[in-house]
Amino acid sequence: MTWPWLQALGRPELVRGWSLAQWQEATRQLRRLRLLARLAEALEAAGLNPSVPEPAARLLLAERQTSRYRRRVVSWAATRIARTLQDLGAPLVLLKGSAYLAQELPIAAGRLPSDLDILVPRDALQRAQTMLVAEGWQEPDLDEHDRRYYHDWSHEVPPMQHPMHPVELDLHHNILPPLGPVTIDMPPLLDDLHACSWPGWSVLAPVDQVLHSAAHLFFDSEPLERVRDLVDLDGLIRHFAASDPGFFTTLQQRAQALGLMEPLLLAGHFCSRWLDTPLDADFRQRLQRKDFSLGAQRALFARVLAPAALDRPRPRAQRAAAAVVLWRYHLRRMPLRLLVPHLWHKLNKARVDPTPR
Amino acid sequence: MSAQPPRRRLDDCDLRELASRLRAGRLWLDFGATSTRLASDVPALAEHLRQVYAQFPLLDDPGWADHHVRILRPRGLRRWLRPQAEFECDLQRPFEPFPADTALPLFEWGSNWLIGKRLANLLLLHAGVVERDGLALILPAVPGSGKSTLTAALSLRGWRLLSDEFGAFCPERRRFIAMLKPVALKNDSIDLIRAFEPQAPIGPLFPKTRKGTVAHLGADREAVDRRHEWVRPGAVVMPRWVGDSPLSLTPQPAHLVFGSLAFNAFNYQDNGERGFDAASYLATQCRGWRLEYSRLDDALAALERLWEEVREARAVKAAAESPA
Repeated sequence: MTWPWLQALGRPELVRGWSLAQWQEATRQLRRLRLLARLAEALEAAGLNPSVPEPAARLLLAERQTSRYRRRVVSWAATRIARTLQDLGAPLVLLKGSAYLAQELPIAAGRLPSDLDILVPRDALQRAQTMLVAEGWQEPDLDEHDRRYYHDWSHEVPPMQHPMHPVELDLHHNILPPLGPVTIDMPPLLDDLHACSWPGWSVLAPVDQVLHSAAHLFFDSEPLERVRDLVDLDGLIRHFAASDPGFFTTLQQRAQALGLMEPLLLAGHFCSRWLDTPLDADFRQRLQRKDFSLGAQRALFARVLAPAALDRPRPRAQRAAAAVVLWRYHLRRMPLRLLVPHLWHKLNKARVDPTPR
Repeated sequence: MSAQPPRRRLDDCDLRELASRLRAGRLWLDFGATSTRLASDVPALAEHLRQVYAQFPLLDDPGWADHHVRILRPRGLRRWLRPQAEFECDLQRPFEPFPADTALPLFEWGSNWLIGKRLANLLLLHAGVVERDGLALILPAVPGSGKSTLTAALSLRGWRLLSDEFGAFCPERRRFIAMLKPVALKNDSIDLIRAFEPQAPIGPLFPKTRKGTVAHLGADREAVDRRHEWVRPGAVVMPRWVGDSPLSLTPQPAHLVFGSLAFNAFNYQDNGERGFDAASYLATQCRGWRLEYSRLDDALAALERLWEEVREARAVKAAAESPA
């Protein structure tokens, strides 16, 4: 079985028997994986706060406060952006975490959003950007390389910031980058938008939300220890499947049509293995089909996604697997003649200086 | 009652033992409001820690720390050529490395960064806090106003230090608790405090950091031993050092006191309504003043006089509130 602290996110009653050492391990791991506030909200909803020992209770409360604040910040910014873009004449779509918040999904509880991901159709992108800038959203100071990177190779404009909104705004025109292994034709997705509770906004269809999350994790991110994304996928699948008996059929059909079967199968595999996500019989059967390439990827991602043990150097095998995944990701995304200068550029970027200003 | 074994402090620990505890990740520092377990293989760090955390108890595995920090020398050539130190917390390395001989400032600033980000269970005011007569004097200020220097001076004249940087207030208990780290003195204020109190336990000088020269004033024994005591809020004084100015102490209306607390805090926003309630409780329960001064002795004398007033007002209020 997998890590007890990961299990406890879905089954908070498991914490009842935990020793202080188990709480210590759980808070450290969940906090660094940005999942501690989820446990805090799950415990509160289940009325289990009295069974939390004092030092852990403090950290859970702290993280819960921060999570609720981050959620307020994102919803405030989104409300105001909807007003800014109300005359755009094109749909405004929330992506990823902000979409989960706006649908009030169970996985909205305990998120720690640091950015707001939104999407408009490609032909409205420029206008949307101009309207946002007029309203005080600022584009970052980019060097020539980064500017070209965003313009030519990315599915979003450079992240924008606002002096009054402590949140980064990522404005997309596509859910995946234009040079990746799979490119997405957006119109069918835009024809199937759903309503949500934030005025002026829509969200992708449930199946598209799942596929976007899966594709992002397995195609378009640096996936080291990204169990948080699996927790999202688990929550999405549980929630949407509960209200739609045909969910898994639609999901597989849509994945086939969009060319996203591979990330879906990887998502299904890890969700059911690590989080006991309930899947229907047909989808489970599909997961069991022999497939050499998929088997290799499972082995690779099992190493990369698994949270490493604390207090010791990261295992060599994990570092190697992460490097392979990263190279594969980069190589699938851009030719070597673009990639080498790009990586060189990224390598030379500095980290934070802790000296206070 | 059985006799308690004398408590060992970092000061009592020989350097070799301290260094081996550090290498094994078995050094626990309990600051009051939060705690850290530290591991390090940087040679100079043991001695520096022993100087600035001298009075802190040497703890044997308490089974818990809020933060788990490692200050490590990177592998490879860097280990020998202009050696560096890296700050790691739970496998994450959020900062650029520092030169290895400034591992202590890296640990201090890195720890403060973690505290400011992670402890929204408390309202963390950007303020120095000292205690006297069971009441907290809160000194909120923007950076550069001389808050740390004044807090250091007070702590050397009979006021108990809780923190020079984080006023840690629990909204539910309505009490302060210590966030007892060494006071970070910068540039001119190091000599100022040395002149003010030649006996002050100031640690090594770290020249050429991004903040200029930095040195740390260690907390005294009483401050360390009482760091878990909750303290009622007493008064708010917003200090500002103005060269060559005469001393002035001006009463401030509650709404300005509120602003000085809430809008300087590290996590006022995180705490939403809870933060508002806490800050408005402090602003309405504590009287507030603005203090401008150029000489530390004048400022301390003025605060002594002020404190009598604060203490009496509190006693009257307590008598009125307590059931006969």
